[in-house]
Formats: sequence, structure tokens, C-alpha cells
Amino acid sequence: MPATMRPNDQRQARKGRKARYLFAGLAGLAFLVVKVSAQQQALTPQTDTAAVERGQKLLVDQCGFCHGANARGGSGGPDLTRSALVQTDEEGKQIGEFLAVGRPDRGMPKFDLSQSQVSDVAAVLHAAIYLNSNRRLYKILDIVVGDAKLGQAYFNGAGRCSSCHSPTGDLKGVGVKYEPATLQGRLLLPRGRERASRAPSAPLYADPTGLKVTVTLPSGETASGGLVRLTDFEVTIYDAGSSRTRSWLRTGDIPKVVVTDPLQAHVDHLTKWTDADMHNMTAYLASLK
Amino acid sequence: MTSRTTNDQRKAREARKERPGCARFAAFAFLVVAVATAIVGAQIPTDSWPTYHGDYSGRRYSTLKQINAANVKGLTLAWVYRLNTSRAGAIVGGEGPDSPPSGGAPTVKSTPLMINGTLYFSVPDHVYAIDARTGRDVWHYAWKTRGGDHIGNRGVGILDNWLYFLTPDNYFVSLDVATGKERWHHEIANMKREYFSTNAPMIIGRQVIIGVGGDALDIPGYLESRDPEAGNLVWRWNTTPRVAGEAGANTWPDEDSMAHGGGMPWIPGTYDPELNLYYFGTGNPQPVLAGFSRPGDNLYTCTIVALNPNTGKMVWHYQVTPHDTHDWDAAQTPILIDGEFNGRQRKMIAQASRNGHYFLLDRATGEHLLTSKHIDSLNWTKGINAKGQPAHDPAKDASVPGTLVSPDTSGATNWPPPSFSPDTGLLYFGTRQTFSVMYLTDTDGHPQGWAAAERNVGTVGNALKAIDYKTGKVKWSRPFAMGPGGTQGGPVGLLSTAGGLLFGNDGGGNFVAYDASTGKPLWHAGLGTNTSNGPQTYLLDGRQYIVVGAGDMLYAFALQP
Repeated sequence: MPATMRPNDQRQARKGRKARYLFAGLAGLAFLVVKVSAQQQALTPQTDTAAVERGQKLLVDQCGFCHGANARGGSGGPDLTRSALVQTDEEGKQIGEFLAVGRPDRGMPKFDLSQSQVSDVAAVLHAAIYLNSNRRLYKILDIVVGDAKLGQAYFNGAGRCSSCHSPTGDLKGVGVKYEPATLQGRLLLPRGRERASRAPSAPLYADPTGLKVTVTLPSGETASGGLVRLTDFEVTIYDAGSSRTRSWLRTGDIPKVVVTDPLQAHVDHLTKWTDADMHNMTAYLASLK
Repeated sequence: MTSRTTNDQRKAREARKERPGCARFAAFAFLVVAVATAIVGAQIPTDSWPTYHGDYSGRRYSTLKQINAANVKGLTLAWVYRLNTSRAGAIVGGEGPDSPPSGGAPTVKSTPLMINGTLYFSVPDHVYAIDARTGRDVWHYAWKTRGGDHIGNRGVGILDNWLYFLTPDNYFVSLDVATGKERWHHEIANMKREYFSTNAPMIIGRQVIIGVGGDALDIPGYLESRDPEAGNLVWRWNTTPRVAGEAGANTWPDEDSMAHGGGMPWIPGTYDPELNLYYFGTGNPQPVLAGFSRPGDNLYTCTIVALNPNTGKMVWHYQVTPHDTHDWDAAQTPILIDGEFNGRQRKMIAQASRNGHYFLLDRATGEHLLTSKHIDSLNWTKGINAKGQPAHDPAKDASVPGTLVSPDTSGATNWPPPSFSPDTGLLYFGTRQTFSVMYLTDTDGHPQGWAAAERNVGTVGNALKAIDYKTGKVKWSRPFAMGPGGTQGGPVGLLSTAGGLLFGNDGGGNFVAYDASTGKPLWHAGLGTNTSNGPQTYLLDGRQYIVVGAGDMLYAFALQP
């Protein structure tokens, strides 16, 4: 650590920040357990949040100076969340055995903690490791950092967005309709509808933003609709009028099939975006309240 | 062929012959020796499929041509096998609880081995032996799991009368080939560190080579050789240096970074018996999507490595993605190609890599020969450097406000086995031109795990491609099936044959035989589910079978007798 005028103050400030991050992450756990079960992980969340909170205080007070308040390493002490001993610890057993002895030859003193204190320290470390390991729980930070004015200029200029969209028409209020990451994703390719995780899903082929197809039979008859599937051997369409699908086998180019994408302009633009344009456009769209 | 390899193999064969009780497995022993002595110029044996790739070359090219471009239209179903994961009637082993884990139907990602008329294959926690003529059960082994990521299992390895496989909770297990009865199991990694194991054991001489997987936490990767009798460790090769001073350590900022640097070797490799070199690709560095705490090239992650399988010592390496920040491991099969390059006959190794580039190297020395792009949409490099490597562009790393990257983290291609046909000189593999936004979520100076989130956007076109190995140029490209969201499909397990055929799926639920020279579809079966493993083939009682997995089903196709 570099020598500074007020190292203690800085350390305290950093500790506070890191502790808050960890708490913010842990607070989200209770609500996200359902999501977690869908992922195949060996680790499971810590359910005793009171133990995790007690452990966090102990961690900051007892371990933070050397290992950092978020246990990722500090002035001299290694990252505890990456430690094989900590990761494979069983509810404080191995951590407790280690703390009772320490590693004096490497400057790690032994710690006289009660069994419940050891258990609390283990709880907060396992909670942190779990959060590190589960990317589905990662929180996207503040992404609205672009220049809305430059975004507006791009909208009306180089992006040619205004040829299809209007801030007072289809995009009115879009900045409050979607949270920023969703807004940014839909700016790039607004395919399908955003829905709550438990809402029933509507098939994309029945959605206005799905690909469209026209099939021309040898007789001259044509049929159009949403594209369900096109392979070298068959084409299946969805007819919105009858709410039914129709299919034909294909041999070479018979029947004739023409596919169109209502979002072709967005697809073509994927290779043209700069990240700065994307950030500016996100800021502009987020400003459309 | 070098005398060393031959002598080792002869000794091993003699040792087997001397053991009492081996007579009934003489045929196995013979087959194994046949595999061990197969050189790249030789072929997959036509009457068996004894390794993950069929032979050691990774080409997945069969000389069989009973089924060929002229008659493939008559290819028809021989049998179907649906995988049953119930423990009833199975031989049960394992350290986990008696209640099986919840979860849907398994997906066959393993390539079945075929030896003496029996197919041997696996899904996580299960190994099956079925009759290769009829698709009927021979035995089923079920493993009681302690947990871990059940994403897939690449298959089994067989040496003599013993079968070897790995489990999601990181056990190395050996079964009796004839009965499925367990001989022993050993834990090779701790699942509490989010290690999980999917690799198919690769057998070279008397070495059983296995690797570990896992990238949820910042853990170190390693490849091991185990002894086939007791399963004990013979050697271990670490995929990253562990302490300062080791080879490659100067490509990491400190010991903590390198000792937690990932690089999982999770796909079976290839082997050249003449050079006695084992080739495999390593996984991505950790933390996965944040590179700022690990400045440097991060050797030996995202690297094609050549090891001496007797010693576990590295002979050469070539890193296909220095300082990866997008999860693009280099685990994809490195394929051995013998042929002409720039007017000279050479022994080469080729990889269609997840980072969107094709690499051709000299496999004796690791000398770089060629790099080309195999997709057009990739936007993440500053170009190709003097060593032929794509140069890292920090501007395309995950960022807090989001970075638009192509391809996405699943890559331009992935693990499903590619194929190379010496008849056409073409390397076949499936590609994706996807985009996603990568958001840095962990801004701490020591980010952990993935450290960033990803939002998938869409694709500008996925296709089955055939590239000329000599030039890296696309000879033909066939778009995959389309759905309402654009093209589907992507990485696909492939098999080429001397019958002029290439077998794979079309991304639309069809299993297809393509003309290997042109990509024209000649035959298909509407399975309704995309095939999920590498197809394989064998001749049995004079009849050629094509066997492929799709979800929890295994299908065999043959010509009507």
C-alpha cells in the first residue's frame, strides 16, 4: 500500500464501501433463490442472513486490516474468497481449526474466536464466495453514462433511426417503460416482447417482430405469415387469421420461399455500432420520459 | 514411427498377455493395441470406434463407404434407444444421497465407443452399454451424485477390459467392460470449488489422461495422467504456473492471479504416435470477463499445448487468444492433418477456434503457419500480430455501460466435434455470428468469477462451413435453418466418410447427410431435435451403421439389407 497522508481514513472509507457492496448483494439473495435453483451449481446460498451480518462485522473488525473488508485481500493478507481452505471449509470446521493455530511463520496470528463467531465468519465468507460464483445474481451497474444530446443527433443523423421511429410517437415514454439494460438491448434488436419471468410466453412466430415468410406454390397460390421454421426440407408458417400453422415439404427451391425480417435495419446495424454511439443512444432513449 | 512408442506398446501388450485370466479379453487387448498403434496416416478401424474421436487424429473421418453419396437416399432407421436414468435395474455406485437429483431428461454429448459389437456411452452420472446391432440394453451403471454442474459428459475411455469415465462431482470411475460392475473410484477435484468434470478419458499406451472443468470461481486448471490399474496419479500438468519463476509466470502480474487463473482442459485431445505428442486446448483465464487484474498474455490459457504423454512435460505451445476476456477457451479439437502446405509435405495441426479464427500449425514444432477469420462479424481484435495471434483490443472488454461484442461468450464455434476429410481437404465445423453486450459488474480491483454480465442480442447469420485447410478460405458455407428469430443452430458434431458424405444437423431438428464436396443435402431424417453429439460409424456383420445422439435418444441408421 502506498504511503499517504491519511492511510487510516482511506482504509476506513474503502472498508465502508466494500461492506456496503457485500450487503447489497446479500440482501438480494432471499428474492432470487428460485432463479438460483435453475442453475447447476455445487454451492448453495447462505440462508442464515443474521449469521452473515454478524460475520461481516467480525470480518471487518478482525480480518479486514490484512484481508480487506470484502475478504479479497488487503495489506499483506491473501484473498480469502479464493482460498482453497475457505472454499472447501465445512460450516466453519476447517476455518476454526486454522484460526486456532494461525500461520505464525507467515505473520498470521492465531485468533481466539468462539465457535459461534467462527461459524459467523464462515457464513459471510461462504456467502461472498457464492455471490462470486453465481453470475446470474450479478447486478448491472449504472449504464446510462452517454451523452443524450449526441444520442439525439445520432438518432436523427447517422443512425437513421428517425426514418422509422419517433420520440413523440412509438418511442414516447420508452425511458420509463424499460430499465436501462433492457432499453439498451431493445435499442440493438427489439425482437419479441419483454415479459416478467413468470409471465406466459407468446411464440415469437406470432409476434410482429418475428421473421415473415411468403410461400409460392407451383400452382401460383401464395401463403404468407410468421416464419415458424425454414429448413432445406420444409417450411412452416403461422397464419395469424386462423391462428394455425401450415407446412410444406421442400425440394430445392420448390415451393418458392421468400423470408423478410421486419427488423432487418436493426440486424444490419449490429455490425455498425460503436460502443460510444450505443451509450449515447441509450442515454437519449432513457431521457424520453 | 519412433521405436520408443512401439517398444512401449509392445511391452504393454506382452504384459497383458502374461496376465492370467486375460484370454477372454484377448480381442479387447488386440483392439486397444490397434488403437494405440494407429497413426494419423492410418484410419479409424472400420469394425470398431474405440476412442472419443474414433482414432487419435481427431479428424472423425471414416474410410467406410458402404453408405455413400450414390445410395444415401436409401438410408433408414436401424434402431432407436431412449436413455433411462432410473436407477431401477442399474448397477448403482457413488458417494451421493440415495434420492436422485431433480432435472430434466439428459442430453447425449458423448460419442459412443463401439468395441466387439457393443456401444459404450455416457451422460452425467450414467454409463450405458447397448448392443450395437439391436440397440438393446447390455448394462446400465448409475452414479449417486453429490452435485456439481451436470452440463454434459463427453464419453468413456476403454483399455483392455476396463472402462473409465468422470462424474460431475469429480470422481474418476472404473467399471468392468463386460458387466458394468465398478472396480474403484477416486475424487480428482473438489466440487465445493465449483470444479466439475465432463471430459472423456483419453488412453495413450498405459496412460489414462483426464482433465477438469469449472469457471464459476477463480480456480486453477490441470490435466492428469492416471494409472489404469489403481487409478493413482502418474503426472499432473498445471495449465497455469503456480509460483513466480515457473515457465509462463512472466505473463501474469502475481502469484495470486496465476494460481487462480483457470485454463480448464475439458475436451479430449489428439495424439501423434510418431512424435509421441498429446495435443489439447486449454480453457479461458479467470476472472472470465475482466482482465484488468491479470495484465499479460496469461499463459497457458486459451492455448494449444503439445505434451509428452509419458512425462506430462510440455514440448511446445501456441496461444490462440492472448489475454482472453470473453470466455473463448481454445478447448476445441486440434485436428491432425498430414498434407501439403506451401509446396512442402508437413505434419500439421488445425483448430477452428471459438474466438472466430482458424489456426494451422506445424505439429512437430508448434511453428505458426496460418491464421484466418472463419466468421465475418467478429469485432474484438486489433488485427493479427506477427505471431499470427489475434491482438487483444482493450476497448472491447466488458465495461460498466456495456460493450457490444461479436461473437458472444459461447463463441464463433464450440466443443461439438468438427471433422476433416482427407479426400476433400476440407475442415468442417458449425459457426455463429452472434452479438451480445457485456457489462462489467465487479469493479473491485480484484474482480472474481465471471465479474461481468452478458445480454445476448442476436445473430447476423449462423452457418455450416467447409474451409480449405491450406488457405483457411471458405470453400462452401450453408446457412443453418431459420426460425422466427433468425438463423438457429451453430456448433455441430460432424462425421465425414470416404463415401463422400458429411453427417451433421441443420439447426432445424434434421439429421442430414451432405455432399462433402459441395454441402448439398442428399438425405435427412426429421428427428425433431438437433443432434447433440459427434456422429460415429462402424461396420458390423457387413452392415455399416451411422449412430448419432439427439437429446435423450440414440439413433442408428443403415441401408436396408
